Amino acid sequence: MQPLKRSLALVLCLCGLVAGMSTFRPPTTQAETCLSPFVKRLDRPEKYLYVYCVDAEAKHNDSLITVDVDRKSKQFGKIIHTLDLGSAGNETHHFGFTDDRTTIWGLTLFSNRVFLIDVASDPARPKLKKVIENIGEKAGLASPHSAYALPDRMLIAFLSAADGGLPAGLAEFTNDGQFVRKFIMPKDAPYGYDVAVKPDLQRMVTSSFTFYNNFKKPLAQMDPKSFGDKLLLWDFRDRKVIATLTTGLAPLECRWSLKEGANHGFTNCALDDSIWVWEGDAKGQYTARRLCKTGKLPADLRQSPDDKYLLVSCFASDEIQQWDVSDLKNPKLFSTLKPGEQPNMMHVTGDGKRMYITNSLLSTMDRPAKFWVKLAHIGGDGMKLDSDFHVDLSALPAGPVRRHDMLLN
Amino acid sequence: MLPGLALALLLGAAGDSSLPSRLAFIRQAPDFTLTNQDGKTVKLSDYRGKVLLVSFVFTTCNGSCPATVHRLAKVQAAIKEKYVGKEHQAAQVVLLSITLDPQRDTAEALKKYIKLYDLQTEAKKEQAVNSPWVFLTGAPETVSSTIAAWGMWVKPTANGQLDHPSRIFLVDTELRIREVYNVDMLRAADVVDDIELLWSERSRHE
Repeated sequence: MQPLKRSLALVLCLCGLVAGMSTFRPPTTQAETCLSPFVKRLDRPEKYLYVYCVDAEAKHNDSLITVDVDRKSKQFGKIIHTLDLGSAGNETHHFGFTDDRTTIWGLTLFSNRVFLIDVASDPARPKLKKVIENIGEKAGLASPHSAYALPDRMLIAFLSAADGGLPAGLAEFTNDGQFVRKFIMPKDAPYGYDVAVKPDLQRMVTSSFTFYNNFKKPLAQMDPKSFGDKLLLWDFRDRKVIATLTTGLAPLECRWSLKEGANHGFTNCALDDSIWVWEGDAKGQYTARRLCKTGKLPADLRQSPDDKYLLVSCFASDEIQQWDVSDLKNPKLFSTLKPGEQPNMMHVTGDGKRMYITNSLLSTMDRPAKFWVKLAHIGGDGMKLDSDFHVDLSALPAGPVRRHDMLLN
Repeated sequence: MLPGLALALLLGAAGDSSLPSRLAFIRQAPDFTLTNQDGKTVKLSDYRGKVLLVSFVFTTCNGSCPATVHRLAKVQAAIKEKYVGKEHQAAQVVLLSITLDPQRDTAEALKKYIKLYDLQTEAKKEQAVNSPWVFLTGAPETVSSTIAAWGMWVKPTANGQLDHPSRIFLVDTELRIREVYNVDMLRAADVVDDIELLWSERSRHE
């Protein structure tokens, strides 16, 4: 062995023992499974839960709420800060960290605004540092949905073209919001929704929902034929589509297997009441198949860090299902949780032992409900609600707020 | 119109997946004036015409820096091996590693680090042509402003280390950032492909 290789290999071995002390982590350690693999991971249990909120009565400004989730804190389970985002009616929906975890990109489905929120200066009290109007303007896209970190950039999945119709697309921006480039969805699969990258395979996947002119209507008036049923597999380095797969209607979240080199992943098909799996073979060919039927309207999909379980929130049947997918030929329903009305977004902690839950989807799709954030513990015998943790967002001084996505810090 | 300017305008138009390259124009690389391991003043603009791999590391790091340096050394070795007999091509890529800890990483400390890990900084080594590797430091305020200009940051941690993002910048011959890797993405074969793509752009427009 060359001296360089020998000495650096020794240092790397030593660093493996202390990897948790800094930003470096072995590629196989993918805790906080729902985040982009390019986002810096926490090296400690979570202290703060950020909840992205819409004023339920559409009167007040949208907000970002910080909940104290530090078990050692006297304020555990309490709202400790509310950041006024300065405008109303944005339909604040999904948000995501930049790669270095210093900034949240808060996306909006109705207004096309992006809120850049500083969570590094004081993680307990996030600050609004910039508002980008019409983020999709240069790309000719609208309704930014998924905020996915790349190194030093953000990859945004849009649901619509600029006129609120199709085709949807993707666009990349610098972390401070400068447009870099766009990718428009192909004619035979023009819908957009989520995006996820598998860096070890240099593959990317995108999914399909519906577009602004359809989802802005009340649920009963939406055109059921205007939803996508395609997954696109991309060569990540070339940003080129290499396969178009047909799934059940409305494949939403994209979750690659967390195992190094494993060439498969999962999506929840909201209007097919099912989870589908996509699989790549040794020749690089991809196929998709229905893995299991779920409860009604599976709205979110999460993974356990050991890649054994999928967690799916069934919005219309008021339950969360935990599926054992260690055998892809024989998935098993392992446990079921009834957390309350219309559970939607979930966020699994880095150790996989806890999961935060919210219960709002879209203001056009929610049923009348009380809005809350709850906590479930995930153990060897399944999921159990934490009776000490219940954040009631229906009884705030300024009125009730819907909340959708969550992030931990 | 100058060929280089034509390409710059084409890239500057951006916002289009029909760009001539899969490597996007991300932004212009900020210039700097720093000091290398030999105490000589170095500017980024000195390297116009070369392809650059710009990293930010510090010599006492026990986090991502050793892995970054190890993987950069693999990139350097891969180019050297691939371009045996093709004089001076390997020297058309330069590795620049800027310290995140200028207080401790003096030019002397950088020299010791280079020697300790047998890093190949010279253009010629054992009769073969290498890609030069330059380690850079400077006055703390100068290094701080360079770190900030590149969108990087550094923060002391409780264990005496420095927290920082893992980003390695690929810079083209016109000093534009065309790719940003993190340490996990820094695979020699991929990076060599990207470097060759940038070389080919330059040769097409000369």
